[in-house]
Amino acid sequence: MGGTDQSYLFLLVMGVVAVLFCLTPLALARVWALLVSPAKPGDEKNAPYECGIRSVGEARVQFHSGYYLYGLVFLVFDVEALFLLPFAVAYTSLPVGAVVAMLIFLLLLVEGLVWAWRKGVLHWQ
Amino acid sequence: MEALDPLLTRLRAALPEAQVAIELNPAVPAQSSLVVDRDQAVTVARWLRDDPQLRLDYCSNVTGVDWLETTSTEKVRVRRVVDGAEQEVEESVERRQPGYLEVVYHLYSMALGHGPLVLRQRTRNRVDDTRVASLTPVWRSAEFQEREVFDLFGVRFAGHPDLRRILMWEEFEDYPMRKDYVEPDDYEHEPTPHDAVLVKARRH
Amino acid sequence: MDEGLRNELSKQGVFTTTLQELYNWGRRSSVWPLNFGLACCAIEMIAASMARFDIARFGAEVFRPSPRQADLMIVAGTVTKKMAPLVVRLFNQMPEPKYVIAMGACAISGGPFKQGYNVLKGIDRYVPVDIHIPGCPPRPEALLHALLKLQEKIAAQPLTGEHRPRHLSPDVPGEFPVPAYGPYDLQPAKNDDVWRPALVVRTDAG
Repeated sequence: MGGTDQSYLFLLVMGVVAVLFCLTPLALARVWALLVSPAKPGDEKNAPYECGIRSVGEARVQFHSGYYLYGLVFLVFDVEALFLLPFAVAYTSLPVGAVVAMLIFLLLLVEGLVWAWRKGVLHWQ
Repeated sequence: MEALDPLLTRLRAALPEAQVAIELNPAVPAQSSLVVDRDQAVTVARWLRDDPQLRLDYCSNVTGVDWLETTSTEKVRVRRVVDGAEQEVEESVERRQPGYLEVVYHLYSMALGHGPLVLRQRTRNRVDDTRVASLTPVWRSAEFQEREVFDLFGVRFAGHPDLRRILMWEEFEDYPMRKDYVEPDDYEHEPTPHDAVLVKARRH
Repeated sequence: MDEGLRNELSKQGVFTTTLQELYNWGRRSSVWPLNFGLACCAIEMIAASMARFDIARFGAEVFRPSPRQADLMIVAGTVTKKMAPLVVRLFNQMPEPKYVIAMGACAISGGPFKQGYNVLKGIDRYVPVDIHIPGCPPRPEALLHALLKLQEKIAAQPLTGEHRPRHLSPDVPGEFPVPAYGPYDLQPAKNDDVWRPALVVRTDAG
């Protein structure tokens, strides 16, 4: 038995099985739709979902790039809250060094916010 | 809160041009109200809000009333020449009161903890001159409620920032809370009709 | 395969089924409702989905926030005329097979607001309702009962032939006309293909 060739063959068999495993249900669904359950698309049905209100425009909309910067700044506060909560719970029993470390952490975040602010991220064009 | 009579005296002293009257309520709650003319309504409302003794800073409720045209007969004594001699005779006179729409505001003071003071505005009639002054610039809480009164009664609020229908759809053309509103004729069988529904059931 | 042979086989430990039964079993065991409520009945619907009543026992706990993934529309509450086109449009946007449960007096007929100017006299004027639950509001048990009834209904649906359900026949449309806002009422006031008023025969006797 040529050991190395065999092991690569297994890989190939695995790949084929994996692809078939995905494609078989899809093909079955297609056959089922053709034979038994016909698809009935329509204007109302294919329209973008807007909670039942008549939809306006396309389903795919472009977000302003400022949105992502805004999201990043939000993340700063989100992470800050995540760390502040356990800190606040254990606040009274913490040594001075821990409090100072936390203050430095806060300062770093505030610094980031100030930087973003001065860059004009918080202004929406 | 001070009684309405001294309040009215002070109000007239502060705003001499304002036409304000007291509408007495003879019913058990005896909650009398101020009726203010629509042209001075905003100044009067501002005075009510800013007066240090009243400080009615909170408008809790705005509602509408539809008053139909009423006719009342009154007995009046008049001097008249009867059979050559002047006599005092009793005569019944029919008095017609034109219909109008009324907007009622219930005002409270959060700062001083008193209220309510009931403030009313009236339109000239129910048909074409249905304008009153919007008090939304004075009390922001009146905005949606005035829209509701506009939607259901058809009162037009001059100076309202966004006067659109709020409950019915935009295409709707009638004012459903008016007393002469005729609803769409889509009666459906009821096993036990009564009152107004019985009247409808008989028609079908 | 006749019933006797099937029983005999199952006694011997051989399970047999038909494609139709398998298909219906799959559908009825995971009826996913659309996550929306219109009025107070929705509170009972929420109660039915929580631990005490636990609609998950019947495979319907996955309330979908989008109609694309829902099979069942539970019309829970008063349908006002302003809301009716939205409800019909939501139903249109659901993929077939789809079902409707009219929950409570208002969704069935308008309920206590039936003779009002702003309330639709029953959602079955515009969409085909499979199960009606009376009550104001119905208890969560009633909703569970309706779900079981719906499962019975799905289980009895044939795969082929004349009596197959709507979603299996190619010529029956899966969308229903959305009413428009008119100057006084919705236009049209009802969908004649779906609903006709009950025929009332009046007699002079009694």
